[in-house]
Amino acid sequence: MAGAPASSSTSELIRLDETCWEIPAHSGMRVPARVFADEELIAAIRNDRSLEQLENVATLPGIVRAALAMPDIHQGYGFPVGGVAATALPDGVVSPGGVGYDINCGVRLLALPLSAEELSGRRERFVHELSRSVPAGSGKHGRLALSRAELDAVLREGPRALVARGIGRPDDLEQTESRGCLPGGDPAVVSERAHARGAGQLGTMGSGNHFIELQRVGEIFDAAAAAAFGLAPGQLTVLIHSGSRGLGHQVCTDHVRVMDAVAGRYGIVLPDRQLACAPASSPEGRAYLAAMAAAANFAFANRQAIAHAVRETVGRVLGVRAAEETRQVYDVAHNVAKVERYGGRELLVHRKGATRAFPGQPVFIPGSMGTASFVLVGREGAMERSFGTACHGAGRAMSRTSARKRIGGAQLRRELEAQGIVVRCPTNTGLAEEAPFAYKDVERVVHVVERAGLASRVARLVPIGVVKG
Amino acid sequence: MHRFVEHIGEVELELKAPSEEGIFQAAADAFAELADGDPVGERCTRRITLSGDDHALLLVDWLSELVFLAEVDRFVPVRVTHFRVAGSSLSATVEGRRGRPAHLVKGVTLNNLSLKESCDGWRARVVLDV
Repeated sequence: MAGAPASSSTSELIRLDETCWEIPAHSGMRVPARVFADEELIAAIRNDRSLEQLENVATLPGIVRAALAMPDIHQGYGFPVGGVAATALPDGVVSPGGVGYDINCGVRLLALPLSAEELSGRRERFVHELSRSVPAGSGKHGRLALSRAELDAVLREGPRALVARGIGRPDDLEQTESRGCLPGGDPAVVSERAHARGAGQLGTMGSGNHFIELQRVGEIFDAAAAAAFGLAPGQLTVLIHSGSRGLGHQVCTDHVRVMDAVAGRYGIVLPDRQLACAPASSPEGRAYLAAMAAAANFAFANRQAIAHAVRETVGRVLGVRAAEETRQVYDVAHNVAKVERYGGRELLVHRKGATRAFPGQPVFIPGSMGTASFVLVGREGAMERSFGTACHGAGRAMSRTSARKRIGGAQLRRELEAQGIVVRCPTNTGLAEEAPFAYKDVERVVHVVERAGLASRVARLVPIGVVKG
Repeated sequence: MHRFVEHIGEVELELKAPSEEGIFQAAADAFAELADGDPVGERCTRRITLSGDDHALLLVDWLSELVFLAEVDRFVPVRVTHFRVAGSSLSATVEGRRGRPAHLVKGVTLNNLSLKESCDGWRARVVLDV
């Protein structure tokens, strides 16, 4: 199981069709690397080291068909963000770095039974109350005090363990990827450190690019799908972006180190230590998958607790009936490895900053605070071309440092508010780092996804309020 | 000394020092700069002991320890008052304050990790997931 290091991103990039580009396998790559993009996005992608990282992913033992990248790809660590890799089970590898530190970072969309017009003068208060209801920022603790046994139940069962306590509703589970529970989540393989980092963080947003956004449905592209998802023009929606918080971060930290120590024992040679991996069937692989499932379940539950706080806020500001009629459209994971079947084979699909997009399934592509977000529906093309995957956002185009140099948080706040977006953020620095111009053009990214046949547009969501982590 | 290198998605640290121990101190300084949020919390001291033969990984563990203390204990480091690396053992005393770290570091990665001695001292690189 040896693979020599891949070379740099100066490799030849061949255009396969309108939206797909390929770097043929070379220098230790076991499969080609393929990117979904158009000319302008490819030019932006070549500005960082993401293609080199994708070539490195193509060296992983057991990888099948191609190392894939979505149009929002950008440089990450080990895997690029927007990367997808499927390995053949039972002996293909699992790589914790291929899932990332924020295990099951993802998004959940709620649809309110009100229009933006009906919200009217209550918008500022509603956004303010949202910011008070969901703790944001680094290391913040939530209002849910869980005993060790209760936390472990969340790690095994996900949000179902919270619904039993009146946090969320049974129908929320039906509208959650994998019904909010990855099988095999085992608290016993989640370290004490991970428990310590996660304890008290359920129901908290975190920092960085996490957010809660208040939106109105600005445009419908597919009336039938929009009706099926319960979305109508002018309707209010709330998009929640958060993950597994410190618990998931520590699970990744712990298991990358384990894999780094044992990879050589399995004859695995890697071009980047952060790709550390082991056969999925090995004791180390099985332990990681059980810990990852537990962290993913925690993340689903975290978004469930945040959604519960949003519903409570709707109740306080907009009335009890509005809260009761606030529905969950769907909840999808961005960072996870899942066992799925393609072409009669069982594969372990790593999605690192990518969204499952099975046919008929809602897919959400958040914009960048000042730009629209999109609801899409997964298409058959995703099953044929991308292991049932679409992109997860616009994708960064500028570093946080550069964004801070270009605009101050106070100025950005004024500019967003001039656009009609109410902003709440713990720090001006954190706000500036997430400035809309630091991201790729989400409309272009969405068009590539649609033209590639991975998912098609259902609705455009226009931001009218944002609470940043 | 430390420098934050341009990285489109994360935070990449470049560290330089005359000695290997200096690299670890520079890493703590960089983390302190990132974490610096609320400087008025109660003063406190933390003892850190770690072990490992691979000193690049020891650097990752050192930063991971500071990440853990910042998140769980709200400990924002101010300065390292004692530091020693001998063989596979690291021991340190870090003074700081309890407060609200400004930046969350999710994890300390092994991506492009390096720690080496060159003709003009020691250099290291480490990428943090933020």
